[in-house]
Amino acid sequence: MSHVNATTFTIVVVLFVVVTGVGFAAARWRRAEDMLHLNEWGLGGRSFGSFVTWFLLGGDLYTAYTFIAVPALVFGSGAIGFYAVSYTIMVFPIVIIFLPRLWSVSRVHNYVTPADFIRGRYGSRGLALSAAFTGILALMPYIALQLVGIQAVLTVMGVGTSSGSTFVKDLPLFIAFLVLAIFTYVSGLRAPALIAFVKDTLVYLMVIVAVIYIPTRLGGWGHIFGVAQKHFTSVNPATKKPYGAFIPTSKAIGSTQLDFATLALGSALALFIYPHSITGTLAAKRRSVVKRNMAFLPLYSVLLALIALFGYMAIADKTTMANVKKAGGNAQLAVPYLFQHMFPSWFTGIAFAGIIIGALVPAAIMGIAAANLFTRNIFKEFFKPDASPRLQTQVSRWASLVVKLGALYFALELPRTFAINLQLLGGVWILQLFPMLVGGLFTRWFDRWALLTGWLAGMAFGTVAAYKSASPTASHWASSSDIEFGHTVYIGFSAVLLNIIIAVILTVILRAAKVPQGADETLPHQYTADPAAAPAHAGVSFGTPAAAGGSGSSAGAGASGSGGD
Amino acid sequence: MSVTLWEGPTFAERERMSQPPVTSRSSRSGWAPIAAHPVTSTVIAVLIIASIFFSLYVPIYARTTPKVGDFPFFYFYLLVYMPAVSVALLIVIQLQKRLQPPGGAEGPQAAEMSEVTK
Repeated sequence: MSHVNATTFTIVVVLFVVVTGVGFAAARWRRAEDMLHLNEWGLGGRSFGSFVTWFLLGGDLYTAYTFIAVPALVFGSGAIGFYAVSYTIMVFPIVIIFLPRLWSVSRVHNYVTPADFIRGRYGSRGLALSAAFTGILALMPYIALQLVGIQAVLTVMGVGTSSGSTFVKDLPLFIAFLVLAIFTYVSGLRAPALIAFVKDTLVYLMVIVAVIYIPTRLGGWGHIFGVAQKHFTSVNPATKKPYGAFIPTSKAIGSTQLDFATLALGSALALFIYPHSITGTLAAKRRSVVKRNMAFLPLYSVLLALIALFGYMAIADKTTMANVKKAGGNAQLAVPYLFQHMFPSWFTGIAFAGIIIGALVPAAIMGIAAANLFTRNIFKEFFKPDASPRLQTQVSRWASLVVKLGALYFALELPRTFAINLQLLGGVWILQLFPMLVGGLFTRWFDRWALLTGWLAGMAFGTVAAYKSASPTASHWASSSDIEFGHTVYIGFSAVLLNIIIAVILTVILRAAKVPQGADETLPHQYTADPAAAPAHAGVSFGTPAAAGGSGSSAGAGASGSGGD
Repeated sequence: MSVTLWEGPTFAERERMSQPPVTSRSSRSGWAPIAAHPVTSTVIAVLIIASIFFSLYVPIYARTTPKVGDFPFFYFYLLVYMPAVSVALLIVIQLQKRLQPPGGAEGPQAAEMSEVTK
């Protein structure tokens, strides 16, 4: 098990070095006048067209979650893991309703983060702070998931896992962490955007080969499904229950259908509230680019469905089953072991590199998004309102390192039975922004204090429920689903329902009491606007002296605009 | 020097300079284009709602039969669903273009904008 295959190892290292080179070179790609501006470091100059955006958002959304966590859940529990497929189906029709509006209003007001929008919309610093805090917090376990994914691959490769010492055992994790931290620091959003091309090429290659080749080695799809179905009806001697379900079960035998549906819906609602998805969206240059991507991104979902089936292939392969069992039943290792056993070692190298890079790209984008939130909505807002763009970018760079340290903590501390729980935990938190963000894109009816109270209630309920969930192997944070009123549902879903109910009731009360509302700097038509010129070019075409002496940053400019009314 | 490039007025500011916000607020209500094209709007709504519903309502597809090739129905359904959603959303985007006033989505502000930039 600790045997390192030289060919596999060499190929992974070579591809990794190439990608790192691309990452550093990216600083020069579409060279900006000033790399030290946050619009540049953090949004790639807001200039990406459909093609780059597709790769960037794809690289953003399909991550170690896709390659490791989803097949691991399918491997361990069966059909419930396919909620991820259902989720990536429904996410695009849901998101096409509100995301173009967010793009438009953010472009008009030069918002960089979702919290910028919330501040502008409700005129509430407190609400913006809650949004920034939630975004940063929610991204940590999501980045942790990427680290766990990388670690799974490195473990199967036999790198540094045989030692008893915790530090050496987690050494691969630390290395992955370091590389990620450094190239994000240097290149900002350009690095992941450019690497995304390399990554997706590798991933497509890997998936297509695997989907065609592996079933032929395992006796065809019919056999794979047959073995999986038999496996999930057999009883696990440890728990005295079936291992899982091959099809989401209905009421008669304890429903998992509602769990399936709420996991899918909750994840779908959460995806484009995540700051990193919004970062990828705001980097698009036109509204039509955002829309077009909603129609073309589902093509990635086809990939996700096929990758999820790797979980069943792993069940159908006796060697993989045995290897996973030998490694303490860590389901995250199922796909790496499957590849190692099925592919010649050189192709295993390519596939492993694809997974590792596929985890690094989104982790970098998430780090940047979290850092932008900290800098703009916490540091600048509360500590140093006159921070220059240069200082903001510096702070962002350091913040991105700190966020990744937080992620490392989650990766080391939380139970790793199913890494997917890390993403679902992030979802529990980020979903609590849904009423203020998505609600705010359509109506100013909600009261800011009502939203804040709803948020607080949702956060508290979700965190406590997730913390209390236990399993035979972990006393806390074991699951992301909980039993409410006799039904198993995703905690994020029940928490956001509570959040919305409280926000609505309190809004009715506060409106009746005529509590003053904050200033709204947005106008209705700005939610459908499609300004062609990026803010930078607009500045050039205007070239007014006032502009040169203007306030510290774009957000400052927006704020002063409303003040000048 | 380059820093100043980013410090121009935002689009919103320039808009305020060029146009009193009150008129734009009243002239461009979000519901007007939908009221003007009831059929197109309905089709868009149906396409989006159907795309969400048929993956959200699990009982429709939570079964093994009929098998398509070697694939149990549940898995086949989810696989085929995705290209279908892709097509549905492409149609939605095309239809949404019809909802826009002849001047384009940008409205009067954008027209002015482009004049300014010229």
